[in-house]
Amino acid sequence: MDPSELRGKRGIIAVIALLIICVGLMSSLEKLAGNVSPGISRIYNILAYLVAPNNIATWVYDWRGFDTLIETAVIYVGAVASALVIGRGVVQMKHYSEEAPATSPPLEYRTESLTVILKYLGLPAAILLLSYGIMVVTASSTSGGGGFQCGVIMTSAYLLAAIFYGKDNPIKFGKRFLIGIGAVGLGGYTLLGLPGFLTSGYWQYNVGADIWSLVSPTLHSIFGDPFRLSLYLQEGVFYSTPGIIPLINIAEAFNVVGAIGLIYFAFLYGWSEPPEDQEKGGK
Amino acid sequence: MSAYPSNLWSIPLLVVIPIIVAVVVNFIYNRSRLIKIISIVSAVCLALIASLSSYGYHWFTGQPALRPETLTFTFDPGFPAWRLALEFYFGPLQQVMIFVMSLILIFVVAVASSGLTKRQGPYMSMIFLLFASAAIIIMVNDLYHLWIAVEIGSLVVAGVVVGSGTSVSHKAALKYTFFSALSGAGLAIALALILGLTGYSNISDAIRYLQSVNLGEMSIILYVAFAFFVLSWIYAGGLAPIHPLKSEVYGASFPHGTAMLQTQSKLMLVAIGIVMLQIFGMLPFVREVMLAISIITMMLGVVMALIQTDFRWILAYLIVSHSGLVTVGISLGTTEGLVGGIFQAVNDVIYMTVLLLCCEALYYFGGKTSTRNSLGLAKRAPWLGMAVILGTMAASGIPPFNGFQSELILIQASLKAGLPEVAAVILMVSVTTFIALFRAVYRLFLKPPETSEPVAEVKVPRSLYIGLWVFVALTLIIGVYPNIVVSFITPVAQAVSIPWYL
Repeated sequence: MDPSELRGKRGIIAVIALLIICVGLMSSLEKLAGNVSPGISRIYNILAYLVAPNNIATWVYDWRGFDTLIETAVIYVGAVASALVIGRGVVQMKHYSEEAPATSPPLEYRTESLTVILKYLGLPAAILLLSYGIMVVTASSTSGGGGFQCGVIMTSAYLLAAIFYGKDNPIKFGKRFLIGIGAVGLGGYTLLGLPGFLTSGYWQYNVGADIWSLVSPTLHSIFGDPFRLSLYLQEGVFYSTPGIIPLINIAEAFNVVGAIGLIYFAFLYGWSEPPEDQEKGGK
Repeated sequence: MSAYPSNLWSIPLLVVIPIIVAVVVNFIYNRSRLIKIISIVSAVCLALIASLSSYGYHWFTGQPALRPETLTFTFDPGFPAWRLALEFYFGPLQQVMIFVMSLILIFVVAVASSGLTKRQGPYMSMIFLLFASAAIIIMVNDLYHLWIAVEIGSLVVAGVVVGSGTSVSHKAALKYTFFSALSGAGLAIALALILGLTGYSNISDAIRYLQSVNLGEMSIILYVAFAFFVLSWIYAGGLAPIHPLKSEVYGASFPHGTAMLQTQSKLMLVAIGIVMLQIFGMLPFVREVMLAISIITMMLGVVMALIQTDFRWILAYLIVSHSGLVTVGISLGTTEGLVGGIFQAVNDVIYMTVLLLCCEALYYFGGKTSTRNSLGLAKRAPWLGMAVILGTMAASGIPPFNGFQSELILIQASLKAGLPEVAAVILMVSVTTFIALFRAVYRLFLKPPETSEPVAEVKVPRSLYIGLWVFVALTLIIGVYPNIVVSFITPVAQAVSIPWYL
């Protein structure tokens, strides 16, 4: 936007509006300082130790686990929307076309100028990043990490390799592969609500942790035992299980890898499709 | 014991099914026949679930509520207790709104899958996610989740628009997405302030807390939260002064996509409007602010529609103008006003779907939607001509169609609230809608073509005609028997109304 557009009446209105918003917001924050009502947080904190040792993991994937599902879907939507933007004209009406498809060409790479060191260190660095991503997701219920972080780290590896090697990216994530990974992630996360729904009637009830004793001991064991943890404290040994939280984290990681990877793919390599009548060696 | 369960089976299905379908159709990408079957079957299932379900709550993740007087946990939603879980509610209002939306979804996906090329998976995915976001906003009783649903809803709107694949649609989507960042941030600030003030993201709990304490100096926080909430409301529904952006979104999409977009938008306006009334209703100036925005939207939309020379853009501005009709009823805040506003929303999405499907049919006759053309389509496609005329009559509030009933209730509500000027504006919008629409209908459908070129045989999908006549029949049935919808709306309107005029 041209800053000169903000001169005159428009600029004055914008400045006044911003001032009003700032004053209102600042005075609200000043009133809230020291007076924030803890409300429901107190109860969440009292109960948190019963699930994952990492309190944040419990908040994000158990108490507010369905919120997180929809937030995860936001990333997925972003990826699909990016594919539609870059692959303009991928979807068209059969009988009528206002404009011819105008797909964006891929970015140009000049990998010849890379130094030998970078060329040979690129692949190990990407592999290390991928491994780190896997490590982060597997420790998600006990550390501050999780599926989202894992996804971001792994797609960083993909981006790094793309920058180093251009079209000859050794991490060969194709378009359909990334769509598939994203589908497994978002679909998997969504369907992890099914065991709780079928047994307790509540969608995404954590059947592995089962802190309200709503499901059978067998189901509790199936989802809870693989992730059981012992906490050795001065007061004694405590056992807890995050239940389905680690599985949700893995699904989240798949979704983020698929979605962010697809965004990178679309922007780096473009999104073009052959005309439909030529797809199967047709006309 | 409450008569309503806290684990109603239908609520998660109404949200989860569209998400799973969105994932599946995107994955299968270009298998158009399979996409068509999956989409239509799922949309029919959603309509059946919405119509057959009983009423109740769903506490996602199965956390109970804490009863403050006994400090015990309960799974019975009948007790006044602080909810730990994310709460959704499905009652009569939600039932009628989601049922109508799923009915529209059935024909939108049927028409889209017949009319689009093979690689329709990502686009269809967006349509289902649009449904999911609206269903969440309609049912959710949680501020934080409301924000997330509005966020995803905005992004999906952009996805549906860019799916149309033209430079105009890309520009419209980009502008809309840019402003969504501001609006989303606004809603986030509003909920952060309410959360800081009350400590509860559950809307009922937050209201109960606000009613139980004397806020004193802290009430300024509520005013600021209201201001940010209004920003989001304006944005979600495309009300003034954001109306040009939303009109562009409607005009730049495929007409069947616009049918779904306008449904999502109007039902969101109702849902967010009710939340605003519940939380901020007793603050001074709330009614005045909401009414002013609604009236300006109505008038600007209809005036802009009058000066358009393209059927698509006429509809786009009329949709915005009629959003003002919906919100004017909600802004009145009285039982009659709320009944009128919500009833208008339901009627509006039905008759606008008729007109948008007629607009979609124009694509099969060469895609000329400019009113500078005289196409004489009524002669070539008499059923289509009849449907567009009946749709125009319904949209203009002519009896015995549904638009007449809701506009009558709105006019009566305005008069009863002591606001005859609002009633006059509603009447003006109604008349102007007729002029704007009939001008286009005359040129495109009734006026004989200026040239007598030979015309090719045109095959309009059967699903489009079936959809048209289902919705035309609905405009007539609801117009003659308004109580089949009003009876669902009245209990909610009575529960949330504010007797401002007393």
